[in-house]
Amino acid sequence: MASRAPLAGLRVADFTWVWAGPFCTLQLAHLGAEVIRVETATRPCVTRLLPPFADFEPGPNRSGYFNQYNQGKKSIALDLKRPEAIEAAKRLCAASDIVVENFAAGVMDRMGLGWEVLHGLRPDLVMIALSGYGATGPDSDKVSYGPAQVPLSGMSSVTGYRGFPPMHVGISYGDPTGGLHGAVAVLTALIHRARTGQGQYIDLSQWETSMAVLPEAIAAWTMNGTAPERDGNRDPDMAPHGVFRAAGEDRWVAIAVEDDAAWARFATAIGKPGLAADPRYATAAARKRNEDALEEVVTAWTAMYSPEEVTETLQAAGVGAFVAATNHDLADDPHLNARGFFVELPHPVVGTRKHAGVPWRMSESDCRVRRAAPCLGADTDQVLRDVCGYSEAEVARLREVQALV
Amino acid sequence: MSAALGHLRVLEVGSGVAAAYGAKLLADLGAQVIKIEPPRRGDATRARGPFPGNVPHAEKSGLFLYLNANKRGMTLDLARPRGREVLERLAARADLLVHDVHPSEMAGRGLDYERFAAANPTLVMTSIAPFGVSGPHASYRGPDVVTWNAGGVGTLNGEPARPDLPPLKAFGDQSGFQAGLNAAIGSLGALFARLSSGRGEHVEVSTQECLAAILELTFEFWPYCGLTASRLGAKPIQPLCFMECRDGWIFLCCVEEHQWKSLVDIMGNPEWASMDIFADRLSRGANFDALQIFLAECCCEWSVNELYEAAQRRRVPLAPVSTMGDLLASPHLRARGFFATLEHPVAGGVTLPGAPYRLAATPWTLRSPAPCLGQHTAEVLAEIGVDAGALAREGVV
Repeated sequence: MASRAPLAGLRVADFTWVWAGPFCTLQLAHLGAEVIRVETATRPCVTRLLPPFADFEPGPNRSGYFNQYNQGKKSIALDLKRPEAIEAAKRLCAASDIVVENFAAGVMDRMGLGWEVLHGLRPDLVMIALSGYGATGPDSDKVSYGPAQVPLSGMSSVTGYRGFPPMHVGISYGDPTGGLHGAVAVLTALIHRARTGQGQYIDLSQWETSMAVLPEAIAAWTMNGTAPERDGNRDPDMAPHGVFRAAGEDRWVAIAVEDDAAWARFATAIGKPGLAADPRYATAAARKRNEDALEEVVTAWTAMYSPEEVTETLQAAGVGAFVAATNHDLADDPHLNARGFFVELPHPVVGTRKHAGVPWRMSESDCRVRRAAPCLGADTDQVLRDVCGYSEAEVARLREVQALV
Repeated sequence: MSAALGHLRVLEVGSGVAAAYGAKLLADLGAQVIKIEPPRRGDATRARGPFPGNVPHAEKSGLFLYLNANKRGMTLDLARPRGREVLERLAARADLLVHDVHPSEMAGRGLDYERFAAANPTLVMTSIAPFGVSGPHASYRGPDVVTWNAGGVGTLNGEPARPDLPPLKAFGDQSGFQAGLNAAIGSLGALFARLSSGRGEHVEVSTQECLAAILELTFEFWPYCGLTASRLGAKPIQPLCFMECRDGWIFLCCVEEHQWKSLVDIMGNPEWASMDIFADRLSRGANFDALQIFLAECCCEWSVNELYEAAQRRRVPLAPVSTMGDLLASPHLRARGFFATLEHPVAGGVTLPGAPYRLAATPWTLRSPAPCLGQHTAEVLAEIGVDAGALAREGVV
C-alpha cells in the first residue's frame, strides 16, 4: 500500500509573504497539504526580488531565497486591487481548509477577506494571522520586519561578545520561529476540527513567539531583576564552550565540554592527559574560573588542525565538536547528503539546484518536498478552474480585466 | 472552550530543552504529558537556572519551571530492566512518546519503536537527535553551540570588520527550541495522519537539519551562485544596524527607499543625507563606515522610545533593543496578557513567557506548575497497576 501524506486532501490559501508566513505554509506543504500562494506581479513577494539569483541573473523566478521557502507550493496570480480578483480569492478561501496571512493588521478585513467574511463562507475554516505585534493591543498597528524581531524580542540585548554592543544573530530569527509556532497552532486546530467539526481563528504575534524561546533571560529578570550579560559563545556551566580558531583561512570549530568526564576525554584526545587532574581545570567550577587560560590551551591545539580533523578527533572521544559550517560546507556535508536531506527537483527556470529539505522523517507517512517552488502565477488557470470553479470563458474574462497579473 | 489536545496521552523522556519544549507546546494546548526523569538528579535543566537569588535548587530553575508547566512528573531509572518494563507499560497506553535521548543510548533505555509498536500499533514515537538517528555522524554529540554551528547558523553572525572574533552564537539553547518546534510539528503531523490510518509511526528529527533549514537567503548562495556566505565584510543593504540613543540601543531598519526617506525626514533632513554616497540602499551599504558616524550623531540626540514612536508613525519598522525590563514593562504585552505567573509550591510565584499564540476556540492555558521531582510517580504507577513502594525499594523510582 502506498503511503499517504498526513495532510493529503487539505488545501491552504496562502496570502503570506517574505519569510515567516511562507515558512509556516512550507511545513504544511511538507506534510502534504495543497498550498496555493496568492501572488501578484504588480507587487511580487520581496523574496522574489532578493538575491541569490541563479547565476547572478535577476528575475522573479530565479531567486534562491524564494525557491527555498516555497518548495512544494502552487502559485496563482491575482491582483487583489481588482474586485474580480477579490471575488476569485474568496472562492479560493471558501474551497480551502486553512487560510494563512501575514499582512499588516486590518489589511485582510479591508480587502473583504477578514475572518468574519471567510468564516461565513466556510464554517469549519482554520485561519491564522501571523503579525509582528499581534492582532490586539496598543502596538498592534506597528510595522515589523524580520530583522527587527531579534532586537525587539530582547534576544539582541543578551547576545554579543563580552563588552561589545548588542548584536544580531545572523538571520531574521523571529521569522522561522514565528512560522514554526504557526504550524504547531494550525496542526492543533486541524486535529480539533477533525474531532469536532469546529474551525477557528488564530492570532500569532511574532514578538511573542520570539520571547517564547528566551525563558532563561526573562526568568533571570523576573526572579532577580538582572539580565544575563553578553558573554560571546560561553556558557554559564560548561567550559570549554565556544568556537575556536582552526588551521586555514577563517576556519573555526565549535567545541562543548559538557562535564568533568568529557574534560578528561578531551585532555586525552589532545594528547595532554595531565590536564584532567590539573587543579586549574579539573572541575567545571575551576575551568569557569580560569576560562581565559583554558581557551588559550584549547586554541593552541585547535589552531594546528583543520576543523574537520578537530571534529573527528573529539567526536571519536565522545566530546561535542563540529566545524563552524558555511553554506558551502553544508552543501558538501557527507552526512547530510547520505541522509538525503537536500532536495534537487527540476525547476523550469533555474534548472536543478540544491535546496534544504524536511528536517524530520516519518516511517509511515509520505512526508517530503513534492515539487520545486512555483514560477509566479504558474498554477493560475488550473486553480481557477479546478478549485474556484470558473469556466474557461470566465478565466479568459478575468484575464481581460487584468485581474490575473 | 475546550482543550484541542486534551484527549492525547504523551510521554516525555527528555533532558534539556528539545524534547521538553516539544512536549510543552502540546501540554499547553491541553495534552496530558507525563515527564519521565531519572531518579535523584532529575532533568539536567533542574541544575541550570536561573535561580531566585542565584542559589541553585532543583525545584527553582526558571528554565525548568518554564519548560515543564502543565506536565505531571515521575522518576524512573531506564538504565534498569524494571524501569524499562514500566516504560513499556506506559507506552502501551500512550498516544505519543517524545524523547531526546542520544541514539547511542536509545537501546539501553528501552527506546525501541518496533517493540513499543508491537504492543501498541497506534503509538507515535518522536526521536530528536543532534545529527539524527542515522548517517555517518549519528553518533556525534552536539550541545547547542555545536549544532548551531553544524547547521550553518554560527558562521553568519559576527563583527563584520573583526575577522579575529569567532562566529557568534545566539543566546540560550536555540538549537533545542528549534528541534522542539520541529518535533511538535512532526508529532502532530503523525497524530493527524493516525486519525485516518489508525496507525502510529516513528518520527525522527535532526537538530542539525532543523538549523540548516533556517539559513534565510544564505544557503542558496552556493547552489545558485557558487558563493560562500560569511559574517565578514560590508552588508549589502543599510541601515540595518544597531545605534546608541541617549538612554539605550535602537535597531535601525530601512529596507525600502521610502522608509529611508522618512527616517531622514524624522532626523530633520541633515545635509549629509543628500550626499551621493548615501543615495540608495546599496550605496549606503557600500559606504556604511561613513554613514554610521553620521547616524550615531543623530541617534544620540533621541531617546529610544521617541525615535521608535516617531519612526513607527511614519511606518518605518524601527525597533528598540529591548532589555528584559522593557519587555516586562511593555503596556502592549501587558494589555495582551502575555506574561504568565505561576504559583509553584517550592519556588513560589514565578513570571514567565505565556501564550505564544491565541487559538480562539481552544486557547493556550496554564493549568499547573512544573512538577517537583517525582511528584506524580505513585499516582502514575497506580494508574497502570504498579506498586510504587516495591520500585522505590529497588531504587527504580
